[in-house]
Amino acid sequence: MAERRVSVTSEVGLHARPAATFVQTAAKASYDVTIAKAGGTPVSAKSILSVLALDVRQGESIVISAEGEGADALLDELAQIAAAP
Amino acid sequence: MTTVLAPVAGAAIGLSAVPDPVFSQAMVGPGTAIDPRREPVEALAPIDGTIVKLHPHAYVVVGDDGRGVLVHLGIDTVQLKGEGFRLLAAEGDRVRAGQPVVAWDPAVVEAGGRSPVCPVVALDAVRDAVGGIAEGSVNAGDTLFEWS
Repeated sequence: MAERRVSVTSEVGLHARPAATFVQTAAKASYDVTIAKAGGTPVSAKSILSVLALDVRQGESIVISAEGEGADALLDELAQIAAAP
Repeated sequence: MTTVLAPVAGAAIGLSAVPDPVFSQAMVGPGTAIDPRREPVEALAPIDGTIVKLHPHAYVVVGDDGRGVLVHLGIDTVQLKGEGFRLLAAEGDRVRAGQPVVAWDPAVVEAGGRSPVCPVVALDAVRDAVGGIAEGSVNAGDTLFEWS
């Protein structure tokens, strides 16, 4: 299982715009991709409902996890989206 | 089948007319958008369910079948940090379709230089799942679209 820990710096958190980009990118994977707040329960990173309900605010840390072919590259891409200001 | 109600009165203009690509390209999901009447209004719950996320400028109601509908009050209104919006319900509340959730004034949003257009989106739905989309004038509480 590969994972990345990212601090969300966007003023609006991981909401409509970054969330939609994040979910669309995660949905490219054929395997499960999850997102969790640090210490929290992971939810599907492919579900816009789950990501919006997770409600990641500015300054919070998230953990993104996946296992499968190309997971490292995918997680790097997701981490970049989530960390973008 | 989920019947999604118009949260505000105005003109149903379709998502493609929303001045934000994340909505106009249906990246958040399929649905439509309402160009609201410029008058103080109470935005309504679009479906029966639980308010799983409530921001002053946007809310998500999830039905008992797990389907979530996002109502976004204006574009880039997150930047207003709640100013001009008043919550009429709380996160976690169970609501009936048509129940007031947030009071706001589209005219004030527009006067602040932002679009008051309200996307109403079926979350995690495939594009074909949404039909019967209203066009033109709608009243708050009218059927806006059907989610099959």
